[in-house]
Amino acid sequence: MALDPKIRINLDRSVVLLVQQNSQAMDALTAMFRGFGVRKQFKAANGAEAMHVVKTQELDLIVTDSHLPDMDGYDLVHWLRREGPDNARFTPVIMLTGHAARTMVEKSRDSGANFVVSRPFTPEILLQRVFWVAKDERQMVVADGYVGPDRRFKNMGPPLGVKGRRKDDLSTHVGAATDPNMDQSDIDMLLKPMKAQL
Amino acid sequence: MSEAEFVKVKYRLTEQVARPGGMTAGLANERAQRELAAHAGDAMKSLGNMIGRLETMNREKSVSLDTVYEEASTILDIAGLFDKRTLCDACYSLCELVDRQRTHGRQDWASIGVHVSALRLLWTKDGQDPESLKSVVDGLWSITDRLAP
Repeated sequence: MALDPKIRINLDRSVVLLVQQNSQAMDALTAMFRGFGVRKQFKAANGAEAMHVVKTQELDLIVTDSHLPDMDGYDLVHWLRREGPDNARFTPVIMLTGHAARTMVEKSRDSGANFVVSRPFTPEILLQRVFWVAKDERQMVVADGYVGPDRRFKNMGPPLGVKGRRKDDLSTHVGAATDPNMDQSDIDMLLKPMKAQL
Repeated sequence: MSEAEFVKVKYRLTEQVARPGGMTAGLANERAQRELAAHAGDAMKSLGNMIGRLETMNREKSVSLDTVYEEASTILDIAGLFDKRTLCDACYSLCELVDRQRTHGRQDWASIGVHVSALRLLWTKDGQDPESLKSVVDGLWSITDRLAP
């Protein structure tokens, strides 16, 4: 389901790290985030550069390609979640993938990224995932074999605006009020014990 | 084995997104489309050059499957950001074909060649006649699927 175009989103002050090997793809990604209103973007062409930025900057979001020259994006997230600086360990990550080679499927599942976006995608899809990440209320799981967001959506409900695959899937997001707020006297009336004539 | 620990995390991004100001998602999307469009011409030119490199590889038949995979994967990476769906599907089929060939320890240049020619066709006919171009991609997948995953 597409993101409601009327929803307001403010990314003016967000600091985003983009990790992408290919310069052409990096330009396109930078352009998209500029369009979203992100003013401060760090760019890294490989894992080592990305690790340096993570260690030296306060980041709000990391968007990384799964395919990097010195390590893959999954290894980068694995490092971030386990060995990254304490203040950056749980920074939200969106992973961009192209073709997933057979050897990478399991690694992708276990990487600890918040969301994986597969190509091709539009700016609308990417913005939706950024919004999902911002509203992501899943807890982080720290276990021997996995560090990352709880992969079960069952308790939290599916991401905002998504119907869910189970018939009992409900979103925990309450949403904006549709009726005007009650005034205090109305609330008092609801709470006040009153004698009832039977 | 130690027990899993659950940590409640509050992202700074959550607060920032909700700050007053900003713009609607519709406007953000429009702006991003506009910014992206400025790069589309250069990207298409690069994609053409990359397909040219694949054509050379296919002619000379001297490079490894890994090299073909890398090039095809880069085409997919760039085309995927510009929502070139048909080109991406064809490229995905090539990546999958090469990956399956690697798994089976064989190198079949003929099927790679068909994919490369199709990529050139799809690149040339970008956005035209989507129905017939889709049938080209379906044909590529039937070649790829001849080799079990």
